[in-house]
Amino acid sequence: MIETSRLTRRFDDRVAVEDLSLRVEPGEIFGLLGPNGAGKTTTLRMLAGLLAPSSGSATVAGIPLQPRRMDDVRTRVGLLTEAPGLWDRLTVRMNLSVYARLYGVPQPGRAVARVLDTFGLTDRADSLAAQLSKGMKQKVAIARALMHDPPVLLLDEPTSGLDPQTARLVRDLVLGLRDAGHTIVISTHNLDEAERVATRIGVLQRRLIAVDTPNALRSRLFGQRVRFVLADAQNLAPIVLRAGARDLQMTEDGFSIAMDHPACDVPCLIRTLVEAGAELRAVIPEQAPLEDVYLTLLEQDENGGGE
Amino acid sequence: MKLPSTHRVTALLVKEVAELRRNRMALVPVVLLAVFSVALPLIISLAVPIVAGEPLSSDEEFIRAIRRSGLLLDAPELSREGTIQAFIFQQFLLMQVLIPVTGAMAFAGYSLIGEKQGRTLEPLLATPLTTTELLIAKGLGAMLPSLAIMFAALGAYVVLIAWLAEPHVLHAVVNARALLIMFALAPTAALVALQMAVLVSSRVNDPRTAQQFGALLILPLTVLFVAQLNGAFPLTEPLIVFLTAVLAGAWVLLVILGVALFNREAILTRWK
Repeated sequence: MIETSRLTRRFDDRVAVEDLSLRVEPGEIFGLLGPNGAGKTTTLRMLAGLLAPSSGSATVAGIPLQPRRMDDVRTRVGLLTEAPGLWDRLTVRMNLSVYARLYGVPQPGRAVARVLDTFGLTDRADSLAAQLSKGMKQKVAIARALMHDPPVLLLDEPTSGLDPQTARLVRDLVLGLRDAGHTIVISTHNLDEAERVATRIGVLQRRLIAVDTPNALRSRLFGQRVRFVLADAQNLAPIVLRAGARDLQMTEDGFSIAMDHPACDVPCLIRTLVEAGAELRAVIPEQAPLEDVYLTLLEQDENGGGE
Repeated sequence: MKLPSTHRVTALLVKEVAELRRNRMALVPVVLLAVFSVALPLIISLAVPIVAGEPLSSDEEFIRAIRRSGLLLDAPELSREGTIQAFIFQQFLLMQVLIPVTGAMAFAGYSLIGEKQGRTLEPLLATPLTTTELLIAKGLGAMLPSLAIMFAALGAYVVLIAWLAEPHVLHAVVNARALLIMFALAPTAALVALQMAVLVSSRVNDPRTAQQFGALLILPLTVLFVAQLNGAFPLTEPLIVFLTAVLAGAWVLLVILGVALFNREAILTRWK
């Protein structure tokens, strides 16, 4: 649904996005992570047909990203910009109605009523946009991006500045859209959000320095670790090491080890520990926070060790 | 080149007019100018003689100046006082041309910059709306309310002349020349002013700059007004047609130039 090949965008001498190659499938949510100025918004603007690439190629919803086809691309894409960008002096209904007509939606009145209903905005339809809370504005902006039922949805910081309750509401909306088959790219600084909604994430630092599922990135960087909680872990270290454990780290209530194949290795180690008389209380897979993954990837890239 | 889509232009035009209706303060300068342009000739031709206790027709030089101008020669039914009133009302008609010009500048100058400042431009540019459609809708969105105010002022002008002036004055004022001024010269002058303001609005960050550029058109119009008032440059029918044609040509050039200079990418990435 979205495919880019060595997509590059320069602004005069500055390269904003370089050699971006990725593929996002229908029904997938792709999380685009990266620090400020990493090129996330520029990437979304290119995919939305707002900025022409300097080099490289891309297709969005089957349409090549070429200067002559930008209007067609914009017809097939819904873009949620960083700011909701509603006309404050107009009502919610009027805001949506103008966009329905700009997109050439048949029976715009009905289409507006449908999205108002979908997003639970019917009772605020005749409120001025200026009177809405930030969360409500964001909901209207998402509704606007979906007005023409685009197959591709590009969301720039969709929950930025929202309270946790509204942020969850927006996330649930996004997951619902994924289930409805939309291809979604989310640019975000919120790593927790990326982990919750994204099928895969890409870390952008002008170039795409890593792409995978959050768990695969964790495994790649930190391996897989398992924590064993014991009543008394003293004198067990030699037994654990003899069982082939790597990177043993003793903790207050047990130990943590790196494992290449936890599904096979954990039962063996449990058996060994029980036979050695250990009182095992819990076995917990350890996950490095996505923040550690993200920061490590950026650090590796700065040191020239990125992908 | 694709032809502009009327449904997209109409959609944006409806939004422009709806926004302006809710921003009544923006209309105040234009409405004030309209009131001024209606009231001033009425004060000069009707109130001043009453206050001075002397009719305008007592000034023989005034009558001779009107005859020299060649205007109103075909209105023998007018009284001396009516002739002077008709002359004043005719001359001040040109002042009403300034109404749509001022309105166009005020509204169009803010149009694109306002979208950018309200952060509403990016979602708008993310639609299939083309640059030509955007500029046409922005132009018409500024022009139609301005023309509506001008025609409302014209209606009031006509009613007040019919009510307060000497007999036959209205008939002498509403002639082919007046109709050409109001229905040809005024709209084209407004078009040029607003297109200039829209063009500048797409290149600068400050609405005041756009309005100042649009104001450049007021200068020649004011010169024209003063010149015809003192008889130096009577605005005859052929001259009005010629000026309208020149302004229409200028408008077409400005639209072409506006589309060529409108840089979507620069607007998105460089305007702060």
